[in-house]
Amino acid sequence: MPFTTVRSPHALGLGRKSFVRKNLPYLLIAPSVVMLLALIAYPLLFALRSSFYFWNLQIGPQPLAFVGVENYVQAFNAFDFRASLGNTLILSTMGTAIEFGLGLTIALILLKALPGMNVVRALLILPTTIAPIVVGFLFRYLYDPGGGLLVWVLQSLWLPVPAQGILGSPSTALAAILFVDIWQWTPFFAIVLYASLLAVPDEIIEAARLDRASPWTILFRIKLPLIKRTAIIIVMLRFMQIFNTFDTVLVLTRGGPGTSTRTLGYSLYEQGLVNFNIGLVSAMTWITVLIVNIIVALYVFVAFRHEEW
Amino acid sequence: MSRRRTSFYTAATYAAGLLFLAIFVGPILWFIALAIRPAETAFTMPPSLSFEPNLDAFRHILVDPGTNAPQLANSLIVAIGAVLLNLPFSVPAAYALSRFKLRGKKNIMLWYLGLLMAPPIAFLIPYFILITRIGLQGSYFSMVLVLQTLTIPFSVWLMKSFIDEVPAELEEAARVDGARWYTIMWRITLPIVRPGIIVTSMFAFVFAWNNAAFPLVLSSRSTATLPIGTLGYFATSGVTWNYIAAAAVLAMIPPMIIFLVFDRYVVRGLTFGSVKG
Repeated sequence: MPFTTVRSPHALGLGRKSFVRKNLPYLLIAPSVVMLLALIAYPLLFALRSSFYFWNLQIGPQPLAFVGVENYVQAFNAFDFRASLGNTLILSTMGTAIEFGLGLTIALILLKALPGMNVVRALLILPTTIAPIVVGFLFRYLYDPGGGLLVWVLQSLWLPVPAQGILGSPSTALAAILFVDIWQWTPFFAIVLYASLLAVPDEIIEAARLDRASPWTILFRIKLPLIKRTAIIIVMLRFMQIFNTFDTVLVLTRGGPGTSTRTLGYSLYEQGLVNFNIGLVSAMTWITVLIVNIIVALYVFVAFRHEEW
Repeated sequence: MSRRRTSFYTAATYAAGLLFLAIFVGPILWFIALAIRPAETAFTMPPSLSFEPNLDAFRHILVDPGTNAPQLANSLIVAIGAVLLNLPFSVPAAYALSRFKLRGKKNIMLWYLGLLMAPPIAFLIPYFILITRIGLQGSYFSMVLVLQTLTIPFSVWLMKSFIDEVPAELEEAARVDGARWYTIMWRITLPIVRPGIIVTSMFAFVFAWNNAAFPLVLSSRSTATLPIGTLGYFATSGVTWNYIAAAAVLAMIPPMIIFLVFDRYVVRGLTFGSVKG
C-alpha cells in the first residue's frame, strides 16, 4: 500500500482540549457501530429470551409458558435439526473446497494471457452477480425431469438420471444443491484468485525459475503464500455464506426428499416462518450463532495470527 | 518449448475458455430464452431454440401486473434507499479507519467482517415481530433499515481501500494552509475518492437488489421486490415458468450490467478491498 499514511488526530493539526477533537476517529466510526449494534443486538437478545419460553404464534400472540432449556433439548433431539447440521457441514466444507480448487485451476488457465481471454474472464463473473433465489429458479428449470436441459445433457452422455428426478431422489438431491452453489461461486474464486495472482511480482517468479524451481514449487511455495490474506478472507466468507444457505434450498427442494437437503438456514426458516414456533426457532438460532462464532473465532485466530493491519 | 507444443497449449487454453463459457454462461442464456419463448415450448425434448420469441411475459410483469405489485419499482426504491442510508454511516467510518492511528483497529475491522457472516435468517423472526409491533410492516423503510446489517460492514471495508490510496501529501498541503479536518475530508479527500464512492454504492445496490431474505418477511403485497415476485409466480397454482423467467431476468440484468461496467473494480469489491487490483 504505497500511499497509506496513518496519523494521530494531533498530527492532523487538531487541538488537544476539545473532546470532539480528541476522540475524532472514534466519533466517526461510532454512528455505524451504534447502528449495527442496534440492528443485531435486538434480534439476538429477543431470541435469547424467547428461547426459554414455549411460544407458538399459531397458538397465541404471547409466550405461553417458561420452559427453561426445554427448547434447546428439543432442538438437539429433533432428527431434522441434526440432519440439517450434518448437511450444512457437508455443503459448506465440500462447497468451499471444490470452489477454491476449481477456481484456482481456472485462474491459472486465465493467467495464460492470450488475446480474447480477457473477454472470457469478464463474462465468467456473471453467475456470481445473480441473486441466489433466481439461481434457484434457473436450476429448477435445468433439473426439471420433464425436459430440463441438464437432464437432457446427462442422458445424452449416457449417464443415469434417477426416475424421480435429480431433485426428487434422496441420493442425488444434496449433490444437486452442492452443484448449484459450485456453479454460482466457482467464478467468484476464479476471478479473485486470478487478480491476486496477477499482482504477484514477475521478478520473484523469474528468480525462482532461475533457481530451477518446478512450476508446482513456484505455485505452492511462492504464489499461494503471497496471496494468502485474500484467500483467507474469501474462503471464510464463502464458508459462512454456504453455512447460512436457505433461499436456493427453499426454491429447489424445500429440504426434501425426507431430510436429505435440509440445511440449518432452511430449518430456521421452516420452524420460524412456516410453523411460527418462536421458542424452538430461537433456541435453534442461538445454537447456530454459537456454532458460527466458534468456527469464525477458531479460523480467525489461526489464519490472522501473523497478519498486520 | 517447440512451436508445435506452444500451439497445442494455445489451442487447449482456448478450448478451456470456451468450455468455461458454455458451463457458466450457457445456462443463463438458456434461462433468458425461457422468458421470451411461448410457454408450451419451455420443456420440449430434445431442447430446441426454434421458437417465435415474444414479450408477453415482460408485458405481464411490467405493463399489466394485474393485482401484483410494481415489483421493478419496489426493487429500485429499496436498493436505492439502502445505498442512500448506507453512505453517511459507512464513509466517515472508512475515513477514520484509513486515516487515523487507532487502538484496536484490527478488531474493529474484523468485527465488521464478522457481521457479514451472521445468518440473516436467524434475525428474520425477531425483525418480523419488532417491525409488526412498531407498525412498520410492509414499509420500504423497514427493508432499507435491516439491509444495513449487510451494506454498512461491506461498504466500510471497500471505502477504506479507496481512501487508503489518496496521497497524504494532498491533505498535508491543505493542513499547512490552515484547513480543518472536516474541510479536508469534505473538500479534498472525498472528491478524489468519488469513483470509490460510486463503486461502493454500486456494490451496496447489488447487495440490496439481490437480497431475498429480508423482503420475504418484511415486504407486503404492495411492496414486494422482484425476487419475491418470482416466488409469487412459483407459489400460485400451476408454475407459470415464463412469468418467473421474465421477473428473474429483470432481476438479473442490473447487477450484470453493473459488474461488467465496473469490471476493473469488481475484484476489489468481491474481496472487500483486500486485493489492490
